[in-house]
Amino acid sequence: MPRFDDSRPEMSLEEFRLLRDHVYSHCGILVHEDMKFVMERRLWPRLEALGLPDFGAYHRYLRYDAQRHAELEAAVEALTTHETYFFREPSQLKAFCDELLPVLEKRNSRLKRLRLWSAGCSSGEEAYTLAMLLKDSRRFDDWDVEVYGTDISRRVLSMARRAEYGASALRATSADLLERHFQPAGNNRVRVRDEVRSWVSFGHHNLLDETGSQLVPRMDVVFCRNVMIYFDQAARRRVLRIVRDRLVPGGYLLLGHSENLLNLGADFELVHLQGDLVYRRPELPGLTTTGGEGR
Amino acid sequence: MNPLPEFPAEEARYRALQELDPRAAGALEVLVTGLHDESWRVRHVAAEALKRLPSSREVAERLIRVLGERGETGARNAAAEALAGLGGAALGPLVTLLGHPDPDQRKFAADILGQLGLRAAELPLVQALEDPDLNVRVAVSEALGRVGGEHSARALEGLLTDAESLLRLSALEGLALLRRPPPLPVVLAMLEDTRLQRSAFRVLGLVPEVVATERICQGLASPVRSVREAALGALGTQVALVEPARRGEVEAVVRAALRRLPDAAQRLVQALECEDVTVRSGALVSAAALGEASLALPVAEAAREDRLLREVLNTLGRLGPEGGRALLAHMADLSSPARAAAAEALADLVDPGSVTALCALLEWAEDDLRAVVVRALGRTRSPEAVPPLVDLLVAPSLAGAATRALGVLAGSNRTAVLEALEEAVTRRATSAAVAALARVGGAPALPALRQLARDAEPTWRAAAVEAAGEVDGAVGRELARAALADEAVQVRAAGVRAMGRLGGPEAGALLRPALHDEDASVRLAAVEAVGESGATDRASELEALVRHPDGALAVAAVRALARLGMAGPGVLMDAAAHPDAEVVKAALSAGALSAVGVELAVALLGHPRWDVRAAAARVLGDAGGPERLDVARRALEAEADALARQTLSDAVERLSRR
Ligand SMILES: C[S@@+](CC[C@H](N)C(=O)[O-])C[C@H]1O[C@@H](n2cnc3c(N)ncnc32)[C@H](O)[C@@H]1O
Repeated sequence: MPRFDDSRPEMSLEEFRLLRDHVYSHCGILVHEDMKFVMERRLWPRLEALGLPDFGAYHRYLRYDAQRHAELEAAVEALTTHETYFFREPSQLKAFCDELLPVLEKRNSRLKRLRLWSAGCSSGEEAYTLAMLLKDSRRFDDWDVEVYGTDISRRVLSMARRAEYGASALRATSADLLERHFQPAGNNRVRVRDEVRSWVSFGHHNLLDETGSQLVPRMDVVFCRNVMIYFDQAARRRVLRIVRDRLVPGGYLLLGHSENLLNLGADFELVHLQGDLVYRRPELPGLTTTGGEGR
Repeated sequence: MNPLPEFPAEEARYRALQELDPRAAGALEVLVTGLHDESWRVRHVAAEALKRLPSSREVAERLIRVLGERGETGARNAAAEALAGLGGAALGPLVTLLGHPDPDQRKFAADILGQLGLRAAELPLVQALEDPDLNVRVAVSEALGRVGGEHSARALEGLLTDAESLLRLSALEGLALLRRPPPLPVVLAMLEDTRLQRSAFRVLGLVPEVVATERICQGLASPVRSVREAALGALGTQVALVEPARRGEVEAVVRAALRRLPDAAQRLVQALECEDVTVRSGALVSAAALGEASLALPVAEAAREDRLLREVLNTLGRLGPEGGRALLAHMADLSSPARAAAAEALADLVDPGSVTALCALLEWAEDDLRAVVVRALGRTRSPEAVPPLVDLLVAPSLAGAATRALGVLAGSNRTAVLEALEEAVTRRATSAAVAALARVGGAPALPALRQLARDAEPTWRAAAVEAAGEVDGAVGRELARAALADEAVQVRAAGVRAMGRLGGPEAGALLRPALHDEDASVRLAAVEAVGESGATDRASELEALVRHPDGALAVAAVRALARLGMAGPGVLMDAAAHPDAEVVKAALSAGALSAVGVELAVALLGHPRWDVRAAAARVLGDAGGPERLDVARRALEAEADALARQTLSDAVERLSRR
């Protein structure tokens, strides 16, 4: 008689390492050894879906199966942390609004065009936040504005497109912002208003994929926050090269609160704003280069 | 004009240093000048470049001279930073500096030695504990905590009775870093001193004994928040150290302590938001002990920190069905990591009343969450869970989970499950229903399966063939045989798999054409099926495949031959020479218990890949004789990879007992 076995296979340290290395080489995400339990839990549903008996078989599947590319995406999907919320890191956003937006307005006033990129946008909160800030600044009302959100995870992108959120995503959103930019969507959830959505578009992109990045237009500002924390130095270097390449000369790169470019930042200059530290792709030679303040 | 501040001169200096060739003559002095720059950015880039300079002993000595420049705080700190990055080359000069007449210099030396963390600095540092200057002694004891080793631990313990509380404190912190708790009575005594209390708790957490837990629990009741958090941190550390079997004991003590506190739950909510991960982990342990369902949401939110996932799941499980209901009611409010953890916990907490809530969750949850919810539905033992599960058989990513869940559910609701599946098959809802029907229905489902095996759609034929094999061997073989000649790849593959499972005297002959099938997936399935069915008559074809450039086929062939008991020396050697490391490992596990396998293992101890070396070490440990001890020891000495080292040292251990 068939058994309906309800137990789960364990992941050996060796299986863990092989899977980890495989994932790392694909997308730069480094899973630490003390995260074996987490990896086991997150990948177990994949075994279940594929009907595989253990993680060794799963590794072989990722190596050899005809469906291996799709499966690797599914594995990365399961392993990445997508934690994000609206108006995350308010002091940085304030510096962005008060100090960078005026610069960008002036710089691009002739073209009246602005391009922002939320690289590693997760379920879209960051990209929409940026669009909301641009709207509220009233500086770009008749401009051609695009905020691009990209992520390696297709699942979060579909959530981003749906633009429907619950309490956790709104934990740093004030009542007036909620009122202004969201509408009720039932079930205790809200939806981002269409005026904001019309400035935002989403796409699938692996930040380590040089060729794929050619599809990303040149950006005035890149937000790449809380993404590279999962990468090691080598992967960070690669991503930074790609990001730099996608920025217009003089364009800005904003990282997460706990991230910096120490030892990596040769291609960027540090700019001290009153309220934050940001990085900037140097202007083309011949134009004024400006640097950070010594302290 | 650009309104941002502009410092072109600084930028120029920064770039100049960045582009400086460290090997150029005079580079050292240029960089030392950079250490004195007014801009920290420039100083930093100079320090970075210094770390990379060749001939670092000279560099170290030059930097030590900078340390002596009074009034140049920025330069001295940058020099210290650079020295800490130099590694072994800085060791000698820094040890010499420990004897400098100026206490300030000696303190610098101790600090930097601590940052270097080289065990070779241990003895000189222990000696430096005799320094007449208190600040130096404090710096030295902190450094010992970083450098580690037996002498350090003993020296630090000695300091615990020092008259200077600052020294006692740094010694305690040092021992915490080394994870070397002093004897319990000593720690308990130090807890009485408010200045030492927090560090004493840290060390107390390293003692996996109930007496320690009891004392930690007194801390939980403290009116001072920082003391409570220190105690929770200690609890978090302790629970990670006690053996799982003794965890109940710890929790009982915690529970008793928390029950005496009227606002325990509130305090835990506060602690669950604390920055420090060990504090949060202690709070989770406490929440589990308290079993207060109202904590379910903040507990689930702790899963935002990946490292706490295990503890979160454990705690949620302990909050009982009431906690489960609280989670279900608020799923939409949780962050996504919390939601995933909650769903997982729910799978264990469910009762028949949860079906509606679980189904609501299915409406919008992400795919991997849904797999967990599906599993939970199976465990509700409720007939109401049948229809949604049958519906889910349609989703390719969930069909497997749903089939299993229906199987579990059939334990208590067989008739309802059967009827729903038959109905789904009749209206051709999804082929996954066929597998489920066969599994739950058994022999009475056979006529329906025969019928389906003649269906016009290959999907149904394939499903029927595989399912029939699960119910009845004879019928299964008959349908599989026909399927092997089917025009559709999908059906041939299903026939091959079924034949593999069913075996029988003719299996080898019947599987032969499949080994040469035009489709790669059928070939691969056939190799596996030959191994599974025990068809030794196909061995020679498998042997040829061992050398196939496609790693997938070669691995499968080696494994199949091993199952047939026919992985002889030739096969193993061929496989070990394959360029794909997975094939090499397959050879190692195939040969595991044979003499050739051991030979192979010895030869592969020097393979460039760690996983192959680890696999070789395992074989050696399993099957090698004592005469292999030497070679294993030598390999262990040369092994740089931690996991391969572990496996090798296990092997050495086992071999030396033979
Ligand atoms: C923690 S979230 C950060 C979201 C948002 N930027 C914020 O700060 O709130 C990290 C995101 O990075 C994405 N990510 C990780 N590796 C990536 C890669 N190689 N390419 C693109 N996105 C990646 C993950 O899928 C995840 O959604």
